[in-house]
Amino acid sequence: MKDGEKLVIVGCSGSGGPAAMMAKKLMPSVDVTVIRKEEFFIVR
Amino acid sequence: MAGLVTSASIVVPDKMLEGAGITVVHDEVTAVDSQRKKVETSTGGTLAYDKLYLATGARSFVPPIEGSDLDGVLTLRGVPDAERIREVLDRSKNGKIVCIGAGFISMEVASLLAEKPGSAFAITVVELLDRPLPLMLDRDMAAFVKQYLEEKGLHILTGERVERLVGRNGKVVGVELASGVVLDADLVFMNVGVRPNVGLAQSIGLEMGRFGIKVNEFQETSDPDILAGGDCVEKINFLTGKPTPGQLRGPAVVQGRLAAKRLAGYSVAFPGVIDAGGCKMFDMTIAATGLTEERAAQEGIATVSAVVDSRSKHGMIPGVRPWKIKLVFNRDNQRLIGGQIVSYDIAPAREIDAVSAFILGGRTIAELTTFTSACNPDISSEPSAEPITIAAEQALQKIGR
Repeated sequence: MKDGEKLVIVGCSGSGGPAAMMAKKLMPSVDVTVIRKEEFFIVR
Repeated sequence: MAGLVTSASIVVPDKMLEGAGITVVHDEVTAVDSQRKKVETSTGGTLAYDKLYLATGARSFVPPIEGSDLDGVLTLRGVPDAERIREVLDRSKNGKIVCIGAGFISMEVASLLAEKPGSAFAITVVELLDRPLPLMLDRDMAAFVKQYLEEKGLHILTGERVERLVGRNGKVVGVELASGVVLDADLVFMNVGVRPNVGLAQSIGLEMGRFGIKVNEFQETSDPDILAGGDCVEKINFLTGKPTPGQLRGPAVVQGRLAAKRLAGYSVAFPGVIDAGGCKMFDMTIAATGLTEERAAQEGIATVSAVVDSRSKHGMIPGVRPWKIKLVFNRDNQRLIGGQIVSYDIAPAREIDAVSAFILGGRTIAELTTFTSACNPDISSEPSAEPITIAAEQALQKIGR
C-alpha cells in the first residue's frame, strides 16, 4: 500500500486485531481503521 | 467463565490499537460497495477504503433440533456468552447440567462447572461419536480421557444422538436422546461447532468455498482489493491439500499478520493448517496436531502408529506425573502426519509443538529415531526415554527395514 492510503479492517478478534497491529507496524503512513461490532471476544 | 480473569484482559483492547495509531470504530458494517470502495455502517456512517480486510469470525452452530431456543439453553463463543453463563450459574449452586457435544470447548466447560467452588452440579456430556474429543484423539487415546473424566464425576454418554430438548413453560427441563432416554436438565450447553460469518462477503459477491470465504495463500479474495482471514475463511489442510474449516486461534492470528505483510509488499505464503490445538480439563492436558489415524483412514492414507508412556520428570525426581504420546505416520512415505498427547502435567503437552514442527518439515520415522530433546531431570524424562524418539523406534520396528 502507498503512503496515505486507507486500510479498513472489519472485525477485531483473532485475526482483525493482529492484522491491524502488523499493518501499522509495517506501514506507519497508512491510515488503518478497525470497525468492531462487539467490544469483547474470546477465540480459541 | 471460570472467574480467573476479567473479560477485558482476554480481548484486544481499544487502547492498545489506538496507542499504535489505529482508529477504532464501534459499529457494525452492514454493506460494502466494492465498486466505489466504501463500507457502510449500521449508524449510517460511510468509510472509504483502498484495501479492505474481512475478519468477521464465526458464530456458534446451534443444530436445528426442537427446543434449542428454550430458556436455559446456552452456547459459548464470546465474552457476552461467558458473562450470561456466569450470571445463570451464580444463581444456582446445584442442579442438572447437560453438555451437548464432547469437543474441547464443551469438555472444558464441563470440567470448569464441576470444579466451581461451592457448587454440586450433576453433569452429563452427550456425544454423537464414540468418544470424547473425537476430532483430536483416536479411540485408544480418548479412552484414557473418558476414564479420567468419569473418575472426576462427569457422566459421559457417547454414541448418542440428541433427538430434542424438552421444555416446560418456555424453559428447558430435559434432553431426549434418540435411544428414548430422557435426561433431566436445568441447563443445557450446546457446543457442537461453529459456522463462519460470511453474510457480508456473500453480499459483496466474493467467491465462497465449502467452509468459508475462498482466499489464496496470501489471504487475497476474488476481489483484488479485499483480503480476508481467520474463522470466516476456508483453509487448506497442509497434509491432505483439501479444503477444511481450520477455525482455531493460531491460524487466525497468523493469517491476520500475513495479510498485513502482503499489503506491505512481502510475499509470505500461508502453508495450510494442521489443526494443532490443546485443552485442559481438571488436571489433565490434552494436545493434538495433524491427522488422527481415523481421519487418515478416511483420507485413504495407510498409517503406522505408536503409543508411548512417559513421565514429566526423571524417575528419580519427586513429583513425577505420567503422560502419553501417540505418533501417526504415513506408512507409504513414512512421514509423520499426526500426534496426540494426554498428560497429567501441563509442561509435557508442549511437546506437541515439536510434533507440529516435524510434520511441517516432512520428517520421517527414521529421522525421528535420532531426535534428541533438551533434557534436564527436573523438566523432562531421561534421554533414553524421550517419547518422540521411542515412538519413532517402535514405528520403525513395525514397518521393518
